[in-house]
Amino acid sequence: MSASPSYGSRPWTFYALALLFTLFVIFLYGPMIAVLVLSFQGPSASLVFPLRDPGFMWFDELFSPRRTGDVAGAFNRSLPLAILVMLLTVLISVTAGFAFRRRFRGSTAIFYMAIASLIVPGLVLSIGILVTFRYLGLSATWYGSALGAHLSWALPFGLLIMFAVLGRLNPSYEEAAHDLGASRWQTVKDVVVPIVFPGMIAVALFGFTLSYDEFPRSWLTVGTKNTLPLEIWTMTTNVTSPALYALGTVTTVVSFAVIALALSSIIIIQRRRSRGR
Amino acid sequence: MANSPPKSGAAQGSGEIRLVNVTKQFGNSYAVKDINLTIPHGSYCCLLGPSGCGKTTILRMIAGHETPTSGEIYIGNDMVVGKPPVERGTAMMFQSYALFPHLTIQDNVAFYLKMRGVGKEERRRRALEMLQRVQLDHLKDRMPAQLSGGQQQRVALARSLITNPKVLLLDEPLSALDEFLRLRMRGELKSLQNELGITFVHVTHTQPEAIALADMVVVMDTGRIDQADTANVIFDRPATPYVARFMGGQNVLTGTVTGGGGPGTIRLKAADGSHFETMANGEKPKSELSVAVRRDRIALRRRNGDIASNAVNALWGVVSATEYQGSYVKVTLDVGGQVFVANVSDRDYFAEPVERGDPVVASWKTEDVHILGKVDTGAAGDPYLDAGH
Repeated sequence: MSASPSYGSRPWTFYALALLFTLFVIFLYGPMIAVLVLSFQGPSASLVFPLRDPGFMWFDELFSPRRTGDVAGAFNRSLPLAILVMLLTVLISVTAGFAFRRRFRGSTAIFYMAIASLIVPGLVLSIGILVTFRYLGLSATWYGSALGAHLSWALPFGLLIMFAVLGRLNPSYEEAAHDLGASRWQTVKDVVVPIVFPGMIAVALFGFTLSYDEFPRSWLTVGTKNTLPLEIWTMTTNVTSPALYALGTVTTVVSFAVIALALSSIIIIQRRRSRGR
Repeated sequence: MANSPPKSGAAQGSGEIRLVNVTKQFGNSYAVKDINLTIPHGSYCCLLGPSGCGKTTILRMIAGHETPTSGEIYIGNDMVVGKPPVERGTAMMFQSYALFPHLTIQDNVAFYLKMRGVGKEERRRRALEMLQRVQLDHLKDRMPAQLSGGQQQRVALARSLITNPKVLLLDEPLSALDEFLRLRMRGELKSLQNELGITFVHVTHTQPEAIALADMVVVMDTGRIDQADTANVIFDRPATPYVARFMGGQNVLTGTVTGGGGPGTIRLKAADGSHFETMANGEKPKSELSVAVRRDRIALRRRNGDIASNAVNALWGVVSATEYQGSYVKVTLDVGGQVFVANVSDRDYFAEPVERGDPVVASWKTEDVHILGKVDTGAAGDPYLDAGH
């Protein structure tokens, strides 16, 4: 009997890994969805399922604080801080990326020193900054010590992304610009920055979200006024209403909005390049 | 021409390029060493050599993207070392074309004008005119990624030519194209150069490309120029065994001068005992000499019995391969362990075909033997032994 032709069935590992991935997705999004659903809990104020008389009352509660804490104030600090971190991360990463395109003495040492802050535990860094500020007679503020703490976290990521992006940039583009009479500044402005702009958006995204979500590095460095993650943490200890879930929903929506904005602008830029105007 | 002394004030047109004792070092290694070269105004010059021979370095030094370690480069009467490309009057077309991916092709072509501060209306108009010249004006709003390789190359040409250069520098311009387009663009480059009358310097590692295009071929070996001359001279009368091998089309033979042969000729004896003659050129007896014979000047016949021990200009060997090339057949012989190639016209070949394993005699005429300027230092390990046709 001759063997029937085989058109390639999937091996058992395919199903095993598919199961693993499904579990991963459930673990990642399940809790988020649970929080999202429970934030619409009715006046029963139950913190667990089932959902009864769904409505928006806990969102109202959130923005008219009677006992939930200073959410609006925390948001008004977290957002400018995240934007500031984002702008500085982009500026420093891009300029450092340019500097590192050509090897200079000590470049490797400087690179590792910058990257090392990734492995320093955030809480330790936080304590260290507080102690140093105290010693120098400075007060800890969200726009001072916390900004520095956040940059120590966001900058290494920004640098790594920018190194990868600029490392892939063909030097012929800059030479072609030079050949066509562009000055150094014109080359950067009219050629390099537009080409690496999607990479810069990625750096901006990292800068923003790493700062916006940061807890350990904020803990002791923000001073007397909390940022949003600290405020949420405080609320988990003393608020026992679904307003907590409402807050979780709002902050997640903000994060997703930022990511969607960044990714869609990257996609638009690339589509324009491949399709023309 | 390779080592001719620099002419002073000889530049009539402004597109003459002169390299005087140019050396470029990267760290401790020399990319090019002590190069002297004059490329006449309005000529099509091909820098030819294997990768790593320094041809691209020379091009980039003329363009101003690389600074020589020492030496001088003149374009027209101007010493250009240290000057930016625009002041040199050069424009370079990059191997990857380096079209700016974020700009439409019209804006790519207009880039030079934008950098000069030319107003938007005017630069768009002039860019469109330039695109019309390369027949791409209908694609002016496309992005580079949407164009085919050949179209991208034309945009790159238009973008270079809008600077109105005296010298156009082309870095392996045809290497990214498929065979069909390569031949077509080769023709277009040549006619463009004829039409513009400016100097073209074209870097390539492909011999047929250089021969087809160039008024002047510069053959390079690791960091130095072996020969710079017309394509015909380079192909027909290579100066060195390296050039003969790299250009292909030649068999290189080495022997010791044993004395006079016929009138005006000298006789050589090779290591394997065979004899050949060449026109005398003042060679001393007992000196070693390498000569070249073109592959298409070789006559082949089947061997019947031994050849006489005093036979001249004849070798016997065994056919190791035949390759049909259309108008001729490339017959590779094993001659005492050495490779010897005869390109036999199709008519002659099919009149008396030979197959792999057949014993044959290869012979040629004394006047077809060309003396090389250097003694062959052995073909062993030479990757260009069987290059070209």
